[in-house]
Amino acid sequence: MTPKMLLLPILLPAVLAVLFLVLPRTLRLVRDALALAGAAVLLYYGFVFFSLKTLELSVPWLGLGIDFELRLYHFSSFILLALAGFLILIILYATVKMKDAPRAGEFFAYVFLTAAFANGAALANNFVPLVFFWEGLLVTLYGLITIGGRPTSGRTAVKALLISGFCDFSMILGIGLLWTISGTLTMSEISVEPTGIAAVAFVLMMVGAAGKAGAMPFHTWIPDAAVDAPVTFMAFLPAAFEKLLGIYLLARISLDFFKLKPGSGLAILLMIVGAVTIVLAVLMALVQKDLKRLLSYHAVSQVGYMILGIGTAVPFGIAGGIFHMINHAMYKSGLFLSAGSVEHRTGTTELKKLGGLRKEMPLTAFGFTVCALAISGVWPLNGFVSKEMVFHGALETGYTVFAVAAWIGAIFTFASFLKAGHSVFFGDRTREVPAVKESPPGIVIPILALAALCILFGVYNKLPLTLLIQPILEGHVEAGAPLDFTSHALDIFNPVALISIGCLVLAFLLHRHGFLKSGRKPFLASEPVHNLPVVHKLYDLAERRVFDPYEQGVKVLQGLSAVLFKAVDRPIDFIFEKVVTVTGEKFTGILKKAHNGHYANYLAWCLAGLVIIAGVISLLAK
Amino acid sequence: MIVQTALLVGLVLFSVLAIVLRDLLKSAISLAVASLLLGIIFFRMNAPYAGVFEISVVAGLITVLFILTIALTGAGDEVRESRLVNWVFPLVFVAFIVIDALVMKGLLGKIPALASGGETGSFGDVLWKGRTFDLVGQIAVILAGVFSVLALFRKRDKHD
Amino acid sequence: MIILFVVLPLVVAGILPLLGKVSRRVVPDLLANATLLFLFVYAAVAGRPLIAGGPVLQQLSWLGEAVNIRLALDGFSLFMLLAVSLVGLAVCLFSVDYMERYGAKANYYALLLIMIAGMNGLILATDLFAVYLFLEVAAVASYALVAFGLGHDELEAAFKYLMLSVVASAFILASIAVVFGMTGSLDFAAVASALKELNAGAVVGVASAFFLVGFGLKAALIPFHAWLPDAHPSAPAPISAVLSGLLIKVSGVYAMTRIFLNVFGLTPALSMVLMSLGALSMVVAAFLALGQKDMKRMLAYSSISQVGYIVLGIGIGTPLGIAGGLFHLFNHALAKGLLFLTSGSVQQATGTRNLDEMGGLAKRMPVTAATNLVGALSIAGVPPLNGFWSKLIIIIALIQAGHPVFALIAVLASVLTLWYYLLMQRKAFFGKLNEKWAAVKEAPFWMTAATVLLALLCVGIGILFSSTVTTWIQPAADVLADGVHAVIGSWGF
Repeated sequence: MTPKMLLLPILLPAVLAVLFLVLPRTLRLVRDALALAGAAVLLYYGFVFFSLKTLELSVPWLGLGIDFELRLYHFSSFILLALAGFLILIILYATVKMKDAPRAGEFFAYVFLTAAFANGAALANNFVPLVFFWEGLLVTLYGLITIGGRPTSGRTAVKALLISGFCDFSMILGIGLLWTISGTLTMSEISVEPTGIAAVAFVLMMVGAAGKAGAMPFHTWIPDAAVDAPVTFMAFLPAAFEKLLGIYLLARISLDFFKLKPGSGLAILLMIVGAVTIVLAVLMALVQKDLKRLLSYHAVSQVGYMILGIGTAVPFGIAGGIFHMINHAMYKSGLFLSAGSVEHRTGTTELKKLGGLRKEMPLTAFGFTVCALAISGVWPLNGFVSKEMVFHGALETGYTVFAVAAWIGAIFTFASFLKAGHSVFFGDRTREVPAVKESPPGIVIPILALAALCILFGVYNKLPLTLLIQPILEGHVEAGAPLDFTSHALDIFNPVALISIGCLVLAFLLHRHGFLKSGRKPFLASEPVHNLPVVHKLYDLAERRVFDPYEQGVKVLQGLSAVLFKAVDRPIDFIFEKVVTVTGEKFTGILKKAHNGHYANYLAWCLAGLVIIAGVISLLAK
Repeated sequence: MIVQTALLVGLVLFSVLAIVLRDLLKSAISLAVASLLLGIIFFRMNAPYAGVFEISVVAGLITVLFILTIALTGAGDEVRESRLVNWVFPLVFVAFIVIDALVMKGLLGKIPALASGGETGSFGDVLWKGRTFDLVGQIAVILAGVFSVLALFRKRDKHD
Repeated sequence: MIILFVVLPLVVAGILPLLGKVSRRVVPDLLANATLLFLFVYAAVAGRPLIAGGPVLQQLSWLGEAVNIRLALDGFSLFMLLAVSLVGLAVCLFSVDYMERYGAKANYYALLLIMIAGMNGLILATDLFAVYLFLEVAAVASYALVAFGLGHDELEAAFKYLMLSVVASAFILASIAVVFGMTGSLDFAAVASALKELNAGAVVGVASAFFLVGFGLKAALIPFHAWLPDAHPSAPAPISAVLSGLLIKVSGVYAMTRIFLNVFGLTPALSMVLMSLGALSMVVAAFLALGQKDMKRMLAYSSISQVGYIVLGIGIGTPLGIAGGLFHLFNHALAKGLLFLTSGSVQQATGTRNLDEMGGLAKRMPVTAATNLVGALSIAGVPPLNGFWSKLIIIIALIQAGHPVFALIAVLASVLTLWYYLLMQRKAFFGKLNEKWAAVKEAPFWMTAATVLLALLCVGIGILFSSTVTTWIQPAADVLADGVHAVIGSWGF
């Protein structure tokens, strides 16, 4: 296994992407087969690399410390494996769901290109290639959203591009600052104290990582994309890939590049961002009327748990945050895929129109339920384990308020999923949707696979924790501190777990209350919360995008540009038109007249030139 | 000395006339005279071969070609130009001569004695043995000339 | 056998018209392209190992007797040979389709090959008179090629070109005479060492001034540029590409650089003059380009401007500046060659060169539009194309050498360059499709292939610029930065 093999996860998907762009639609079966084969190869190599543990490739590139360096170590191999796993599930799903979509070839191409860039970003050991791959993801993000083909898809794609681009820009600034502080661009060699300028760099890079992961306030494109982009995309990028990459970078920032201390200002900043994201996003999710939008707000909310976990800067909390990352990727992906399955058969994801589908789509219902329970943190699924770890970590920092926020989030998470599950699968069968069957195996298998993994990672949590998470934290804790997370992971007889269970009970009561109050319509179960006096106003404003920094930013920019236009641009334009262009034209005109084709004149210039040059040379030579 | 100066002044004068005169025939004749004067200068400076080539090629062959062409072609339209333009070259030229004269006076004192020619030998020796690479170049020029004539005088079957 | 670079094109040129009688198209196309391909491969592959141990001097012998043909190949010459064969190859490929309507293809290829032979001979020459002679060879071939179309404008342009070119030759010859008189020899090495001992500052100044006028005319520096805007547009597109891309650089910049840096030695006075001329050309030509309606005339003025950049870079005299200037020479050769070729495609499709009459051609000729865009952005200096890096290096070198004003001028000229190129792109390719061109098709295969080749090179060299610089440019720059020492001693026979 030579170091050059590290280029395979980057080059293979890239080559396949180009291939898919040119493959005509008639060769759909070839395309599907190639895609599955490619994803399988990547998965195989994911396992190979994971077992390899360490490998490095370093190619000198531009000098000045900018080299093309890839590094395989436990964390990056873990991410690589996870990326490959999600890729093959998505491809399998897409071969069925995107079968007749008009731009399916482009979709596959973008997906593989995303995989190539994501692999590169995960493996990069030098900031310059990292930024290169990170930026590449922007392009595929834009492309994938536009494939949705809805009238607002273009606008949402631009919004996603701009928000992500802003976060990336912030990250680049942070990297630049980090370079001046540490003097090197090789990631494995950097480790600084986060004080002074380093703190600024930390915040800038954190913005980049958190933005990629979709935390508040950089999340506003995700609910829009939920409607405007293909659901396969939603299951792929916002659910899985972006979280994996964003939290991966955030973890490296907090553990490797900067030595984050628990309780320090920066850690508290992280925890605040996490907590706010959890609560605000889940409140938005609660009142959604469309299943995909509901799921997308949850995606944002769950990122809060990850950021909160890492922000605790305590081994338990950090491990919880990272574990939550992979868990979330699994169940959120499963949830989106089930929503897609429902959409595939019924043609809609509006909660009002759906109901009682569990009899007709039992497998989808089962997968959805498992994932929903996992995301709500029900014992003994994986969500429970990682959430408990985050709660423990938050409490360990001494700032109980964050744990409280996390618990509030848990309440409403479960409440909204009760509403969603009840509305779609359980409850009465609505007449607005015709009789349907279960979705084809290509769609159902990924859902069930993910559900099974949720169960596995919960019950047998020792596997992921010791194999994947523990090695990441080695070296970052003081000697002797307990690194064993598994012993009481499923322990419910401690105060933290009991409070969590209490939250679940509260959520159930809330849901039941709303359900009964609205006349047994499950999709209105969240109305009591929605209609609370002050809260209602806030929800209205949120729906009108008053709290969306992007939209507000756009409005401000429009106002600013109007002012600038009148006060600054017009005058400059006047100067330009009347002074500069006219002068330029006159000058050009004079020159043009001089070039009249008269040979003797040209000779005269030569002679004059000779005299001047000779004169100058002799003057200067003295 | 006087003769040399007169010859040189004549050379410059007739060369300027060749480009300034409007009548093509007079222009060609001025060229021939200038070349003749140059040939005489070469002879006087002990370069008989150079003189022979100069006179036979320029004053002879080229002047004949020019006069033939002038005779075969009709008078073209005169291009109207502003009077100002016509004065540019003569003015610059005069200025150049003046500056040149002044500069040369000062320069002549500073030039070290010129070394006597490095590669001596008969003309044939120098041409064949001393500067063989130049022969390759000469062949190239001849080929270029031939092909130019062939290209420029080819029959054109369609206009572009 | 370095002499192959000169002899091979000549021999092929000699037999082409004869073969042309037999096969009017296929054999000339094949032979010409094969010759250039061979030269390119030879330079690219065999060249570097040859000079790995220092400059190669070849003294030929004919039938056992030493013949006085001495050629020298060092980093700088190899670099130029590579540029010549590369652009020459692209031009030959392009000509396969483009020259169909002119007729007499065999003759055309013969003249083109003679021009290439002349340029190669100049590059490999080791004494002053050989420089002059091969300059003339290339020039004579180019006169005929400019007039090849036999239209009124072409003939007039060729004539003007001839007239001013002759003035250039006269000045160069005058300077050679002065140098010969001073040092008694024409050989580079001998002249260089003699000049060092002589200390004849004033006379060297006069000789430099004459050389500057002469080579400045050849390189079309302002104020010696007047022939170029007429000559380059009138020539057939592939010839314009060779003229702008190669001839003005080989017979102008290369000769000037070789003589000034390796034979005379770059004095501060000379450096200042070169830089000033370069800056002047950059700016004035850019302004002139802005006012052009004819696509090729705009490109011609742009060539003058870019040669200004090259001379400015080389004039700085520092290793970085020289490297930047040489790199820009290479990039411009590629990009300007590309632009003239695409303008030829456009002219063939639409029959016009007037930018105001074009519009929206990108819809009907997407490949041509794309390659044209690559060329334009490359010269304008947009990252990550090759032109950006060379301009950046020149600007950095200017700042490092303590010439902030020149650096500012260079940046401003870049802005102007971007302006008129974007104007050209917008008028010709983007925007609404002019109804007149609704039926045009993309250019034929070889024309497209040639432009795509050059465009890919622009992009590739832009991305891999550091390896290009270290492999090809740096050795050339080192030779020049060595100054007179590169020639004395290692070139002495």
